[in-house]
Parts: sequence; C-alpha cells; structure tokens
Amino acid sequence: MIHFDNVSKVYANQNRPALDHVSVDVDKGEFVFLVGPSGSGKSTFLRLVLKEERPNSGAIHVAGKDLSRLSNFKVPHLRRRIGCVFQDFRLLPNKNVYENVAFALEVIGKPRRFIRKVVPEVIELVGLEGKAHRMPDELSGGEQQRVAMARAFVNRPMILLADEPTGNIDPATSIGIMKVLDRINRTGTTVLMATHDAAIVDSMRKRVVELEDGKIVRDQSRGVYGQAY
Amino acid sequence: MRANFIFSEVWIGLRRNLTMTIAVIVTVAVGMALLGIGLMINSQVSSMTSYWTDKVELSVFLCKKDDVFPSCKNKPPLNDEQKAALKQTISGMPEVERVDFEDQAQAYKNFQEQQGNSLLLSVVQPDDLPESFRVKLKDPNNAGAVTESITGQEGVSNIVNQRQILDTYFGFLGKLRNMALGVAILMVFAATLLIGNTVRLSAYNRRRETGIMRLVGASNIYIQLPFVMEGVIAGLIGGVFAAVLLIVTKILLFEGIQTYMAIPLGWNTVAGVITFTMAVGVVICVLASFITLRRYLRV
Repeated sequence: MIHFDNVSKVYANQNRPALDHVSVDVDKGEFVFLVGPSGSGKSTFLRLVLKEERPNSGAIHVAGKDLSRLSNFKVPHLRRRIGCVFQDFRLLPNKNVYENVAFALEVIGKPRRFIRKVVPEVIELVGLEGKAHRMPDELSGGEQQRVAMARAFVNRPMILLADEPTGNIDPATSIGIMKVLDRINRTGTTVLMATHDAAIVDSMRKRVVELEDGKIVRDQSRGVYGQAY
Repeated sequence: MRANFIFSEVWIGLRRNLTMTIAVIVTVAVGMALLGIGLMINSQVSSMTSYWTDKVELSVFLCKKDDVFPSCKNKPPLNDEQKAALKQTISGMPEVERVDFEDQAQAYKNFQEQQGNSLLLSVVQPDDLPESFRVKLKDPNNAGAVTESITGQEGVSNIVNQRQILDTYFGFLGKLRNMALGVAILMVFAATLLIGNTVRLSAYNRRRETGIMRLVGASNIYIQLPFVMEGVIAGLIGGVFAAVLLIVTKILLFEGIQTYMAIPLGWNTVAGVITFTMAVGVVICVLASFITLRRYLRV
C-alpha cells in the first residue's frame, strides 16, 4: 500500500537530510505507528505520502501509484484515497459537525443524495451521534478530533494518515480516539499514525517504525514505544 | 461540480472584501468606459474620413468687384467668356474630375444654410460673396499640384482646400481618441493590480478552507474557480457600469455634435463597442485572477 525505496529528502537551505535513505513497506490493512523525537522525519514521511513534497532521491509508491510519475493534475485523485487527521483538528469554525464532514464530499463533487446518506453513518462510526448540529467550539477536543476523523474517513480512503492525533488531547480521551482509529483500521483501511505518545503505542501492540535523524532505527511488529523511555 | 457551492463561496468572498471589490468595479468601469469612448471616436473618425474624402473639393474663388485680395487689386472681375475659358483650363488638367461653377446667388444660399450666426446673416448680402469654381479631384492627395497651377491664373482671388479644414478637425478628434485610450490603458493596468490584490486577500481569508479542500483531494479547478469567478463578477459589474457610461456619452456627447458630423454614430456601433469592452474587462479579470492564484494558492 505504501512503499518507500531508499527515499531521501533534504529541504532547501538545510544540510542535514530530513529523511536519509529510508526504505519501508506498509501492507494493505496494516496499522503502523511512526515514532521518534521531534525533527526525526515523521512529518516529512507523511508529507511525502501525500505528495506535498517530492523526495530528492528514491522511489515512493502509494496505492499502487509511482508518485514520481504522477502528474500534478492527478494529485487530487491520489489525495481522495488518503484521509488525514492532524493534531490541531483543522475544522471549519463556521460550519457545524455535519457540514464539516459533508464539506469533504462537496468539494470533490459528490451528489447531495450520497452525502445525505453517508455523512450520518460516519458521524455514528466516530461516536458523535446526536451531535451533528453542534458547532466545533461547542465540542471538547476529543469530540473535535472525532469530527476530523469522520471527515478523513467519510470518502472511505484506502489509507488514513494521522499526525499526532492525540497530541492535544488528555490520555483518557485519547483511548476513545484510538478506538475509533482501530475501528477504521478494521474496515480494511491502512492506518499510519505518527505519535509521541508512549502509553498509546505500548497499549495497542501494533507495528512500530522508529525514526531518528531521518533514519529508520527500528521496525518491529507488535512493538512498544521504545526501551529507552 | 456543484454550482450553488461555488456561488456561495464567491458571494462570501466578494462580501468579505467589499471595499476592494468596489475599487475593482469602479476602476474597471472607468477604464472600460474610456476604452469604449476611444473606440467610438475612432469609428466616428474613420467613417467620416471615408465620407468626406469623396466629397472634398478645392474652392477656387474668383475676384469680385473692388476685391481686396492682392491678386485682384485694381482688376475688373472676369467676364463670362473669361470664366468659361478658366473653367476650360481647369477641367483640362489631368487630376481634375469635375468643375462646377457657383454663382453669387448659390453661394449666398449655401452660406445661409451653413451659418448659424444671425447677426452675420443679416449683414452679408449676396454681392459680398465671391463666385467660385468647385473643383472635384480624382485623388484628393493631388490638391497641392492643382492649387499651384491655378494660383497664377488671372482673376483668381484665392484657393481653399476643404481637406485642410477637415484635417484640423480630424486631428483634434484623433488627439481626443489617443487621450481616452491612453488613460484607458492606465486604468486597465490599475484594474489588473487591484484584482490581483483582491484575489490575494481573498485567498488569505479562505486559506483554511482551501487547505482542507487540498487535503481531501478537491481538484485544482474546484479550488480556484470561486476566486476566478469573484474577478469575473467584479469585472462584469464594472462592465455594466461602463456600458451605462457609454450610452450616456453617446446620448449627451455624440448626439450633441451630430449636426456637425455628416454621419451620426449608430447604435449598432455603440452595441459593438459595449460588447467588446465588456469582453476585454472580463478577460482582464480572469487573467489577473489566474496569475495571482498561481502565486498565492499553491495547489
């Protein structure tokens, strides 16, 4: 599903590479934690998957597509198959829960009948039934992140990228968020989650890929956050 | 593509930058109106030029009794035979197409028709006006040679080339046209920059929305269209104002001076000019929006 082959990325005006000859394979339906300290290259990894950045060398395949051969014109179609969740939720403050989720379908031109059918289903999947007409500022952080997950998942993507989704949320609420991610993973969606949260990684017992200074230092199935911590 | 989604985005964008939108509309309106006026003057000049080029004549005025022109001093006017001979001479020139004689009665009649000044009308008598030959040339550009050869003839007081009078008049219209077009170009330039700025502000205001649209895989055209439409709508409204200004100009200015212009400016021409200026306005807005978007809305 995601295939990195000897990928290096150096940002302009920086001599140290953000990713240094990284090779990794993520299969369909896997749940993978991407761990490592700040600046280890986790976010760069996610941005490369989305083709928001181009690697300086190496090949990236996502959902069977060679990203270096994917024309800019087709990048939006790639992104429709990838859902994204962020630490800061990125909801539209002037739209309610339903509208925020529906927005993701509206802007890719889905028919209204389809939107009316699937949005309530997804809102229920993330555990926000009955709150469809709340505005984001009337929701707790955990609930806002659930809205963001509903929006990321509403188009049934093949891959869900989560960049520190529990970074702004207390540990108790984080468990609920992880349950939603796990539920999404069980539908067959590949989940790739970058995180600092050792407790969550340890409790989930999923595959762990650890980055340090742009290099993969550990790739362990059913791993924990790290012995050193 | 969902039209009502695009239009609601456009409406929000226009309302958020109301002052900038108004600035764009005013600049486009004035710029396009001036462009239109320039075009209208241009069409008027060219239709009049072709009309008059067929009509211009050399007026060869003859000495009358006690004429004060230097070439007539102390000389009696020509008798009928001499006039016939002179007419013969002039018609014999290869450049000349036709020669008509205008006697004093005819000259007075023409004078009455052309002259609006009633005081002058009451003072001038038919005897005050000279007789003349109206010389029609095959090619108006040969006027100089013909004038030269007639000037020395006995009994000729002076020669007036109507073309020269028209040229001063057309020259004035031409300057007016150039001024209108010059200012129009400046206004179009200003409009382009303003539209660019408006779109930039709009893109900044909506960076959250566009960021999410990018993430969920909205196509470029879907993201950019609302911004371009904002430019188009501002341009169209400006174009409508320009059309109103052009119609007012046509009614107040061109119909006012129509009596002096053998050919009035038709409504067909005005409609054509309005269509053209509106198209120019919209095209400028679309181009300015697209160029700005490429810089400020990375997709």
